[in-house]
Parts: sequence; structure tokens; C-alpha cells
Amino acid sequence: MDHPVVHEVSARDGFLPIKTNAFDRGFIGVVFGIFLHLLWMRFLEQAIPLWVCTILTVLIGIYIVKRG
Amino acid sequence: MRSPVTGWLFLAPTILVLVVFGLVPFIYVAVVGFFDWNPFAANPDLVFAGVNNYRRLVFDNQFLRSIGLTLQFTFWVVLSQLIIGYLLAQLFMRDFPLKGLFRTIHTLPLLVAPIAVGAAWRLLCVPGLGPLPFYLNRWFGIDFRLGSFEHQAFITTVVMDIWHWTPLVTLTLLAGLSAMPKEPFESAQVDGANRWQTFWHIMLPLLKPVLITTTFIRLMDALRTVDEVWMLTGGGPGTATRYIGLHIWRVVFPQTDYGYGAAMSLMTLYLTIMLCWFLYVGLVARKPRAS
Repeated sequence: MDHPVVHEVSARDGFLPIKTNAFDRGFIGVVFGIFLHLLWMRFLEQAIPLWVCTILTVLIGIYIVKRG
Repeated sequence: MRSPVTGWLFLAPTILVLVVFGLVPFIYVAVVGFFDWNPFAANPDLVFAGVNNYRRLVFDNQFLRSIGLTLQFTFWVVLSQLIIGYLLAQLFMRDFPLKGLFRTIHTLPLLVAPIAVGAAWRLLCVPGLGPLPFYLNRWFGIDFRLGSFEHQAFITTVVMDIWHWTPLVTLTLLAGLSAMPKEPFESAQVDGANRWQTFWHIMLPLLKPVLITTTFIRLMDALRTVDEVWMLTGGGPGTATRYIGLHIWRVVFPQTDYGYGAAMSLMTLYLTIMLCWFLYVGLVARKPRAS
């Protein structure tokens, strides 16, 4: 009987300091987004609303997933 | 005959346990973190609060101080345990009389429940009754009062944790040392390497996977220390040993502020993940520099 096909998730080099697959980069994007939101709430929210940070986080997250 | 169904059937119990006892509580805590919830208040319902709990958290000086204290505690505890654990593991690699007995005695603290360790150390530290204040005063002239001096309370919690968990580090490093091949050390000896060179260029790289695994285990454990410190100092004097686990306990149970407690718990998990990730990147997965 044939062995079941294993789909390996390919790791690749990007600007991040480690080789990552898509899940890693998504995870790093989320972790970074939480960090940015916490900093924003502490230091910037009184001047700039939080949804600006959320949009920024989504953009940076996409960048990390594509190029990280 | 091999079939994916058989594999999934074997995995099913583990996945079930992980989902029921890991994933579901995690999602529950994550959801509660976005609500105000005090089940014993006039309105016991969950009231959606958005990110208000997290907004409150970043301005909560007591919480931030608890994080700072926990990081200090974790740093000293993990570093000391690695150094002492390594030295003890090296000692147990040599032959000496009654080695088996000493190794067994050395492992005994691991068998004691943390709450019992805290209780025992509390008895050791009671002024006028415990041997620790008595001998510290007699031999070194130190006025040891756990309930009065903040630095003494902090150091005692660190020493207690080292006493309790160093055997675990020793055992894992001992396993790592026992599994090492002899050939690289013999080659180094033939090449005239001194002890420091052998340690730095051969021993440490070979031991690195075990060291890193042990560091991760102890780091995650130290970040969520509650019971033994709770028994020894109760988080005091003042807030000198109110580590993050104790702080969450005080907010969730006596104050019954479940939503905020859930937010703090998630923050602690986040901190643990961040620390482990940075360690992982720094020690394990770093890409080689382009020459």
C-alpha cells in the first residue's frame, strides 16, 4: 500500500532572524500586533485612536507574512 | 496495512484531552478577558468591556511591578539552577563512596509538593523558632526577619525555589552528560586543548540541546510560581514578593474580578511566549551570518 502523502510546510528565508513557514510568520505577526496595541494604549491612545494601531498592525502583519 | 484512520484513532485520546483541558479553558479565559465579570456582585452577568481590561492593565502599576519582580525572580532562579545543577551533574558523573545514596537524597526535594515546601521553609524562617534566623544571627550577625525586610524575603523565595528545583536540572543535565560521546573529548586531549577550551568548544555545544530544554522548562515554571511563595511570604512584606501568579490570585479570588484576572493571565502567557521565543531565536534558530 502507498504511504500517505505528507505535505511539508516549506520554511524560507526572509528579513526575520530565523527560517519561518507561513504559520510562524502569522504567529509572529499576532504577537507583534499585541505588543503594538499594548504600547499604543499606554503611550499614544490619548492622542491617536486605537483603530489606527489595528490598521497598522494588519498592514505590518501582512508584510511579515509575505516577506518575513 | 497502514491507514491514516488508524493513526488518527491512536491520536484521538491525546487530542481529546488536549482540547478539553487545554484549548477550551484557554479560549474561555481569552473570551472572559474581554468582559467585566464579577459573579458575586449585584449584576453577576458578563458585561462586554472590549479592550478595557487591557487598557486598565497597562496603567496598573501594581501589575507592572509584579511583572518586574517575577522577571527578576525568574532570572536569578533559572541562572542559579543551571549553574548549580551543572556542577552537581558533573559531580555525579564521577565515582565516590555512597554516590547512589547521595543522588537519591539530592532528588528528594522534587518529591515534595510546593505547598509543603513553602510550609517547611516558613517554619525554618520563623524568628525565635526556626534555625535559619538563629544561625544567621549567631554566625553572621544578620537580623533575619522575613516579615520585615523586603530584600530578605525576595532572596529567601529565590533560595527556596533553587533548593526545590535544582535536582530536576541536575537530573536532566546528568542524562545529557551520560549520553555524550567520548571521542571528541579524547581528540581534544590529543590536540592539547585545556579544560576551558574543552568545556567551551566541545562540552557546551554538545550539551546545548539539553541546556535549552531545561532552561525552557524552568523558565515557564518560574514565571508561574504561586504556591510555595504564597505559603512562605504571602507576597509580602508589603508587595516585595508578590509575583505575577500571586497578584492574579489576589485579584481573581478575594476581589472576584474575573474579567481583569483573565486579562492578566493572558498577559502572563503572552510574556512567557515572548521570552521563550526570544530565547529560541537567540539560542537555537538564528540564521548563520552571511560572510
